[in-house]
This record gives sequence, structure tokens and C-alpha cells, in this order.
Amino acid sequence: MTLIEVEKHEVEEPKSEPVRVRGLPFFPHFLLREVVVMCLIAGSLILLASYYPASLLKPADPFDTPTPIYPEWYFLYVFGFLKFWTWDIGPIPAKIIGVTMPMILWYGLLILVPFIDRNPSSDIRRRKLAVALGIIALIGVLYFTYYGIVHGE
Amino acid sequence: MSFLDKIYKWLDDRFKLRDLLPPIVKHPAPEDVISNPLYCLGGTAFLCFIILVITGIFLAMYYKPTPGEAYKSVQTIMTAVPMGSLVRSVHHWAANTMIAAVMLHMIRIYFMGAYKKPRELNWVVGIFLLLTVTTFGFSGYLLPWDQLSFWATKIGTGIAGSMPIIGGYISLILMGGNDIGAETLTRFFAIHVLILPMAIAVLLGMHFLMVRIQGISGRL
Ligand code: HEM
Repeated sequence: MTLIEVEKHEVEEPKSEPVRVRGLPFFPHFLLREVVVMCLIAGSLILLASYYPASLLKPADPFDTPTPIYPEWYFLYVFGFLKFWTWDIGPIPAKIIGVTMPMILWYGLLILVPFIDRNPSSDIRRRKLAVALGIIALIGVLYFTYYGIVHGE
Repeated sequence: MSFLDKIYKWLDDRFKLRDLLPPIVKHPAPEDVISNPLYCLGGTAFLCFIILVITGIFLAMYYKPTPGEAYKSVQTIMTAVPMGSLVRSVHHWAANTMIAAVMLHMIRIYFMGAYKKPRELNWVVGIFLLLTVTTFGFSGYLLPWDQLSFWATKIGTGIAGSMPIIGGYISLILMGGNDIGAETLTRFFAIHVLILPMAIAVLLGMHFLMVRIQGISGRL
């Protein structure tokens, strides 16, 4: 493997000494690797597509509701949460909470992550709270996804 | 001088490649970025996107976005068009892989703390990318107009429609009426092949420009 050494100025600590970065030059070494990885991914997609072709069921019929029906897998957690949450809070009906929480609140929270987490360290051992919250969020999304699968309409 | 050198020289005379290329070609890729496969996820998502554009263009040559024709045209793609079934299936798998890769990419960014100063805005752009990618999936799902697409869209528009205040407008904008029908299908088609591709091109441009300017984070 060919390695080059270049001087790179760290963005985070402007006052420190320039650090030396060991790395591959983009062309041709890095690009070659990228091309190999790209071929592997493209090949896997073609294999998947040939063994498990995309399905086409019966034509849409608005008067015949199939059971069970599920949304796409990446929306299952929204669907699952909606099924899970059955409690009204004061005047707010359960359904409104069930829809608002996983869509508006969750995405709002995600957008704000860099502004909520003001801890400058990116060392995982010094970000215990952020890591714990991240794991809880992951488990939550997985759990509601599972809930959505079990409680399909 | 080989033929390639001649081409290079011809272009160089005209476009000063000498000044343009080295920063791109010699730009170093840090070692830990190369050896850690977690850093591949963004690139994987991008590769899937390219594959989706190419297969999508071919699908659009045969697909007809009306309730009477949509299902039949997809059936033709699957049975009569040469390689049609492969192209549609690759489109399907690339879409699902892209969404999975984007989610895993985001998880990597989160746990590595790569969204911290100076990369806050790139995380925000990333969330919009996530929204765009899932909306791509949602709008594409309806297009084959089979039982699964119809009823999954029914659930989806139902959920979006029951959001407080904005829900009614969103479902009206999405469905173009009170129920899923011809209007919905043409709308979803326009969203899927015109609006979202433009949106994602702009967002990806911003995303990659920021990565390029700020570099990949990490304890190098
Ligand atoms: C269409 C979807 C996306 C594509 C194609 C994409 C592509 C990429 C690529 C190629 C990189 C370079 C490093 C790497 O691959 O890990 C990157 C970095 C980054 N992405 Fe994405 N990304 C997407 C979505 C997202 C999302 C959903 C987020 C987060 C919410 C995000 C946040 C970031 C950040 C903060 C960086 C800088 C990371 C660093 O400096 O270490 N991206 N993206």
C-alpha cells in the first residue's frame, strides 16, 4: 500500500501544531478501492434482485381491504407508536399524540441534536449521556417497529 | 508521448488542468477513514442513489401514471420488457439498501459525535436528506398500483392526515382530493420523478461541499 504524508491543519484546535496525517492519495489508490467496493455492492444488488424480484400483487382494489396491511418497514415505527399510544392527555386525543410524537417531535429533536449536545468532546467515553440517550432512542425505534409488525391492521 | 498524454496536453492547454487536478487527485484520504468500513456507509448510500437514477430512468420509459394503465405497464415491465424485471428489482433493492445505509450512516455520525462543531449544519442537511429519502420510498411505493401500494399509501396518507393543524392540508396536497385516485397517482409520480430528485441533488451538493470543506472528522 502506498502511503503519503501531508500536513493538515486541525480545524478544531486552530492553535495547535499542524498534525501529520498518514493517508492514501485520492487518485489512484483511494479511487481503486472505492471502485472495488462499488462493484461488490452493485453485484450484491443484482444478486438480491435476481433471487428476490420485486413483487407485484393483484391490482389495487379500493373495495377490498387486504389483511394484514403494513406500511414500508422504515415507517413501521410511526405506525407502531400510533397503535401503542392509547392514552388521551387532558384535552389532547390519543391519536393526535400518537401521530405527532414520532413525526414532528422526533424529527424536531433529531434536527436539534447538534444544538442540544453542547459537549465538545467526540471521545465516546466522555459522552456517556449522549451515548445512553442514543441507545435508548435506537431501542425505542426498534421496539415500536416490532410493535407495528405484531399489531398490523 | 502516448495518445492519452496528447489528450491531456490538449485539454491542459485549454483548461489549465495542471492547476485544477492536483488538489482533487492528491487530496489525501486519512488512513483510519480508509480502514474503517463504517465510513463507507455514506458512499454506499450515494452509490445506491446513482443506481436508482439509472434504473429509474429506464422504468420511466415504460411506466404510465394513470390508474387504468399503471398496473398493466408494470406488469409489462416484469414480463415482456427485456431485462425489465431485473431493472425493476434492482431499483427496488437499491431503494431499500439506500434507506438502510442512510440510517446506519446517521447512527455512525451520532455515536462518533461527528455532528459537533463545525459540522452542525451538515447534520441538519442530513436530516433533510433522511426525510427526502423516506419520502422517495413513500411516493414510489404507490406507483405499481397493486393492492400493497394502494393500502400502504392509505395508511400513510391517513397518518399524515391526522397530524394536528397541518394534517388536513398535507393530505389534500398529497392526495389531490379526499381519497386515493387518479390525482394521487399523477401527483406521487411528479413528486417521485421531478420534485424529489431536484431536492436531493441540491441537498447532496450541499452535503458533499461541506464534507469537502470541513474534512472528515476523527481523531487523526
Ligand atoms: C442521501 C443520504 C446521504 C448521503 C448519500 C450521505 C453521504 C455522505 C458521505 C459520502 C460522507 C463522507 C463520510 C462517510 O461516508 O461516512 C458523509 C458525511 C457526513 N454525513 Fe452524510 N449522507 C447522507 C445522509 C446523512 C444523514 C441522514 C446525516 C445525519 C443526520 C448525515 C450527516 C453527515 C455528517 C455530519 C457528515 C460528516 C461526518 C464526518 O465528518 O465524519 N448524512 N455523508
